[in-house]
Formats: sequence, C-alpha cells, structure tokens
Amino acid sequence: MDIGLETYAKLDSPVHRWGVRQKLIGLAALIFAFAFIQDLRVLPAMIVVTAIIFAISRLPFPFLVSRLRYPGIFVLALAVVLPLFSGTTILVSLGPLAVRQEGLLAFLLIFVKFVCILTLSIVLFGTAPFLKTIKATRSLGLSPILADMMLLSYRYIYEVANDLTKMQTAMRLRGFRAHGFNKRTLNSLATLAGSLLVRSYERSERVYQAMILRGYGRAKISYEEFKAGTADIMAMTGVIVVAVGFVLAELFLRGVIGG
Amino acid sequence: MHIPDGIVPLSVAAAGYAVTAGATWYSLRKINQQEDPQAGIPKAALLTSAFFVASWIHIPVPPTSVHLILNGLLGTVLGFYAFPAILIGLFFQAIMFQHGGLTTLGVNAAMMGIPALLAYGIFQLRTRFNLQDSQLWTGVFGFLAGSIGLALAAAIAFTILITTIPGNIDVAAERASITALIVAHMPLAIIEGIFTAMLVVFLMRVKPELLEGASTQKAAVASS
Repeated sequence: MDIGLETYAKLDSPVHRWGVRQKLIGLAALIFAFAFIQDLRVLPAMIVVTAIIFAISRLPFPFLVSRLRYPGIFVLALAVVLPLFSGTTILVSLGPLAVRQEGLLAFLLIFVKFVCILTLSIVLFGTAPFLKTIKATRSLGLSPILADMMLLSYRYIYEVANDLTKMQTAMRLRGFRAHGFNKRTLNSLATLAGSLLVRSYERSERVYQAMILRGYGRAKISYEEFKAGTADIMAMTGVIVVAVGFVLAELFLRGVIGG
Repeated sequence: MHIPDGIVPLSVAAAGYAVTAGATWYSLRKINQQEDPQAGIPKAALLTSAFFVASWIHIPVPPTSVHLILNGLLGTVLGFYAFPAILIGLFFQAIMFQHGGLTTLGVNAAMMGIPALLAYGIFQLRTRFNLQDSQLWTGVFGFLAGSIGLALAAAIAFTILITTIPGNIDVAAERASITALIVAHMPLAIIEGIFTAMLVVFLMRVKPELLEGASTQKAAVASS
C-alpha cells in the first residue's frame, strides 16, 4: 500500500531545501491567516500567494489534483446546497429552483479557502520526509508522548494495512462474501476488526521489548540537523509578514482598523 | 463526518483547538501519572494504526455500504490514550487523504475524542458494578459505548456545520435540519453499537486484557 504522501518529498526546490522547522512555522501561520479571511476581496491575493508557493515547490500539478479530488466531493455537495437554499437575492430561477446570490458568494469563499489551505498543507507535508517533519514538531516542543506515538503509528500503518489485506483475502478464500446485512456478516467483520486489534497489540509488546533492548528513552535526542541558516529564517519571516498582511487586510476591509 | 478546511470561521476552529489542547493536556497528565508512561506508548501507537486501518472495513448495508468510526471502541480499549490516538489518527487522515483539515483538526478531534472519553467512562461502569465476567453485560456496555460515542460525535458535527454555515438560513429551518440529520444517523449509531458489542465480546474471549483500559499498562509493566 502506498499512501503517496512522500512521492515527491525528495525533489530539489527552494521549498524542499527550506529548513523543516521554519517551513512548519511559516506555512502554518499562512494557513491560519487564510482560515481567518471572510472578505471576498482578499481571495484573489490568496490565490496568487498560494500559486506562487506551489510553483516554487515544483510539485507536479497532477499530484495536487489527485490529492484534491477526494475531499472535493464534500465541497461539491456544498456547491449544490448553498446557492440554492441560502440567501434572499435571486439571480437566476429555473422553475422551482433559484440560484441565490448570498449562497453563491458564500460557496465561493468556502471553495477558494478550501483549495488554498489544502494546497499549502500539501506543500508543507509533501516536500519533506514525513518522519523528519514529526521530529521537527517534537523539537519545537510537541509532547514526546505524542511525537513517539505519531512516529510509531505512522511506521506501523503500512504493516497493519498489510495484515488487513491478508486476512480479507483469507476470508474470501474460505468463502466469505460480504453482501447482505445480517448478524453473520456483521459478526465476521467484527471478528476481523478484533483480530486486527489483537495482532497489533501482540506486535506492540514485541516492538516495545525490542525498543527497550536498543535503549529506548535513554539516549539524548540531538536536533543538530535542524540548525537554521539565514535563508531559512528569512523565508520564514517573509511568509509570516505575508500572513500578517492578510490578517490586516481582512481587518481593514471589515472596518475594524483604519477607515 | 470530518469538517474540512475553509468551512467554519476561524473563531470556531480556534475554540476547537482550545478544547483539544485542554483534553490532550488532561490525557497526557493522566498518562504521566502511570508508573511507566513509556511502556504504554508502543501499545497505544500500534492500536492507533489498527483503528485507523479498521475504519476502512466496510459494512454492507444494501444498497450501499458504511464504514465505521469506532471512536467509542477506541475509548473503551485505549482509555486515556484515546484522545491522543484520535488526534493522531485525524492528523494522518488530514495530511494523507485530505480528509478533514489542518485548521479544523482541533474541532474534529474534540468532536470525536470527547465522546470517546465518555464511552470509556461508560464501559468502565462494567467493572464498577462488578459485571466484567458477564458476556451479556460486556456486550451491553459495548453497545452503549459504541452507539453513544458515534451519536454524540454526529450531533456535535451537525450542530457545528449548520450553525456556522454562512448565509441567511432561518433558525427554524436550522433546527429542523439538525434534528433530521441526527435522526438519519440513528441507524448508523445502532450499527456501530452492535458492531462494538460483538467486538468487545470477541476481545473478552480472546484477549481480555485489551478491555481493561488504562489499568492494562500497569499489568504490562509488571510483566516486563
């Protein structure tokens, strides 16, 4: 099984070379600034900034499209609901259906924010090996319990997924067919899920013993690899300035500050 | 049932993060109070992967099929590790499948995780009333934990979605649609409950220590 998140993690681009810690802070600031936007007039700038960052990252466009396809279904459902049911100003009416302006604009806002935030998060996590990103969050102060759990679960998702595939094949070979909703089917599937939990639990005991043997929890962790250069910090500062700019623009347009 | 990026206003996302931070802090504190907090990490981590993968199992409900959320079961099995586990699982879903989102991670984790902790509490009643040796009662508490875990998560999700969606939907319509969506999810909560009940009975027969929740860690430490 390949989740494909790291397919392009080893390309060479300024975003790939950017220090992981600075990249995390900078892009996260930008993502949350985008989430703050409610004014439609800020959207063009948002699209431009996202497009520039994506272009610099040299990630292939089809990769982005393939990752956006699945969550896009949810947003498309909103595309149907909002313009038809939300708002009072009717733009076009087709028999009993009416396309309403407020709903359409609300959808536009959601759609653009959704695509921009997702694109940035794909750039953030698609341009470095995932394990390195987790280590960087740990060095930034994430709880060691959370960081270790995250590293181990990520490592074992692939193994557990293989277990599931094997067990499902074995079930099919023994004549199991999952159609029809009945007690028997449900019980077989519950046993399947239960076996998956038992297998993982037993594996975790072996993993823990192996980890103890190798000195888990004793060695001091070094974060030498995350030493930042001037360029890393300048890029981070630049992106944070842009993020603050978005927040200020939004506040200005809402009339909270300035005129 | 995840809330994606861009839908809810930042204030809701921030409130979600605040609740999640609080619940995570509380869970980590409880974990650190155990004799050897490190011993529980591999177990919780591998079970996190297992729950993540188990949610891919589809249950045929003609004409379609549903997948399970298993947050109630997760609480039942992982105890105080459940909240960190859910946070990690949702984070993986957000970055691997773009399912959910980074800005809404806090909201989603609170929406799934708090019902999971509640489910843990419900299932623990089994030992409180000294019913842990009865298969029937284990099944009954499993059903309650599974169905309440999902029903509560669904109720929170729809309330957040409908009350924060922009535009001028009137209050009565809002209330009606929240109720309708929650009622529509009742059969799912029942399926989830039955599935959880069958699963805990299976675990009780095969690996009862998995059902002892947080107390398992002590046993694991004692035996190692």
